[in-house]
Amino acid sequence: MTVLQFVARRLALTIPLLLGIIFITFMLIRIGGQDAVGMLTSPLASKQEVDAIRASLGLDRPLLEQFAIYIGNVLQGDLGNSWQSKQPVLGEILRRLPASIELLFLSIILGAAIGIPIGLRAAMRPNGLFDQVSRFVSLIGFSVPTYWMALMALFVFYLGLRWTPPPMGRISIAAFPPKPVTGSYFLDSLFAGDWSAASSAGHYLILPVAVFSLIVAAPIIKQTRAIAIEILNSDYVRLARLYGFRPQTIRRLTLRNAFTPIATYIGSELATLLAAVSLVELVFSWGGLGQWGLNAILFGDFAAVQGYVLTLAIFATTIYLLVDVAVLVLEPRSAISK
Amino acid sequence: MTTAFVQTRQPRGLVLAWAMLVGLTRRSPTFVLGTAIVLVFAALAALAPWLTDYRPTQTFPDHVLSGPSAQFWFGTDGNGMDVFSRVIHGSQYAFGIAIPALLLMMVIGVPAGLIAGYRGGAIDDLLLRTFDVLRAFPTIVLALAVVAATGQSIVIVVLVIGFLEAPIFARIVRSEVLALRSSELVEAAVAVGNSTWRVMLVHVLPNSIRGATAQMAIRMAWAIRVSTTLAFIGVGIQAPAPEWGVMIRQGAEYINSGEWWIATFPGVALVGLVLGLNLFGDGAQDLLDPKHSDSR
Repeated sequence: MTVLQFVARRLALTIPLLLGIIFITFMLIRIGGQDAVGMLTSPLASKQEVDAIRASLGLDRPLLEQFAIYIGNVLQGDLGNSWQSKQPVLGEILRRLPASIELLFLSIILGAAIGIPIGLRAAMRPNGLFDQVSRFVSLIGFSVPTYWMALMALFVFYLGLRWTPPPMGRISIAAFPPKPVTGSYFLDSLFAGDWSAASSAGHYLILPVAVFSLIVAAPIIKQTRAIAIEILNSDYVRLARLYGFRPQTIRRLTLRNAFTPIATYIGSELATLLAAVSLVELVFSWGGLGQWGLNAILFGDFAAVQGYVLTLAIFATTIYLLVDVAVLVLEPRSAISK
Repeated sequence: MTTAFVQTRQPRGLVLAWAMLVGLTRRSPTFVLGTAIVLVFAALAALAPWLTDYRPTQTFPDHVLSGPSAQFWFGTDGNGMDVFSRVIHGSQYAFGIAIPALLLMMVIGVPAGLIAGYRGGAIDDLLLRTFDVLRAFPTIVLALAVVAATGQSIVIVVLVIGFLEAPIFARIVRSEVLALRSSELVEAAVAVGNSTWRVMLVHVLPNSIRGATAQMAIRMAWAIRVSTTLAFIGVGIQAPAPEWGVMIRQGAEYINSGEWWIATFPGVALVGLVLGLNLFGDGAQDLLDPKHSDSR
């Protein structure tokens, strides 16, 4: 099976999955008791006026028909308009996505840099002291809610020590945001050569990235440990030991073979993490996709909620596909077992 | 002689219990620590009215936002309610959501996994597809959207968490049933003429439930995390209910002006109980399911 065939087959499987997710959210938010038309109109509006608005939004038609119309629009790149901002949902999403991605990727890089070495070290001597301690620490990481950790970090490092800027967005209000290229204030200011803006954006990144990378590191420690232990107990490592290879060589061999499963694991967690990052955004008023999505859910902004869910679903399926293709290219033998 | 024998008998039970506890601690220290923490919280939940001087929603207009003191151990919140009493009563909400949600997960998940694994066919396909959808998608967002749309009640929160997590139990049971289906045990049970239902319920189910039991505490921890996260965002349980997520949400407003105690104490309690359940579950997995233990 060539890579292209593989991608085509996976894409064909992805489409029903996406449709399923859209369908479920579409129906659930409409069947629910929340009536968004009631929020849009003045409490004094007459029954006829409310019905007129309902009809203009197409909400008086049967649910399945509404769904068909929505899918037709989505295929033409029209995700509808947000009822809160009156702006097209697609534009709102694209404007906010880079801020979330910036936070997510920096945290994952840092989290992996913390988690992978700890996991490998723990695997070298299972149930040793280092393993016990790291296992306990990673369980704490599993147990601390993201938003609470963010609040506590703010209290200590902003209010107490004054090391970090206030939780008000991504750059100081005194600084001019750079011209958008990548969407990351930090990178864009660097490209524009605006050092003061870059420094401000960098300072605003520190605390949210630090908090989220610790949340990300906990499951990475656990997975790396499990993967490395499996490899250390494999026949080829036993053979390498039998041949009398030095411990450094065995460690290198383990790392080399652990890389693909660890990368696959992190890839498979990306969508969940993109959803989880919204809680960090909420506490730091980050203004990214996640904060916007949570707000849309709270206010029953149908089109925005569907746009948010659809973005997460597309993101998740794309990442899965990329990870699988990468594995296929890196380790062609994995195709045989599929 | 006989009297001496009788006399040594009394402490023997205690010594034996102590020896068992020591042995268990040696085999899985996390299990013992986790059990202890969970028991403490269970006691707090059961004895809440007797442990606190004030009702959790009783207001003290003269003591709004006062810091921790001898009268109010954990201070008071923006409504002048006693944070200590609210934190203790919060454990009732945690168990009150986690236990029914867990039961729902198992009542749906275990039979689904059993039937899908043993019978295969359309039910199995449906289960696998459902699992694909849930795996590809962050369930917390789905939970948020559903609870926000269908009404802000504790019953809805329990139902949503139960339904979203049921496939995890189904998958665990299914994989064990699949392995068992072609075993000699089942072959023999079928050969002596047991009906399919009898084979499934009497022979397959008891032998394929271990993995699911090992997961129970971890799923409870997850249920508590989700319900508090929903409440923190402002969906599901609403103020002034003494629920930890609600309290952290209320406290978040005040943290930038220095009133740290409102958000801190419920968070500590939440971390404590979730950590306890995770430790318990981690240890239970080692004890019940040595096959899956990664230390081998």
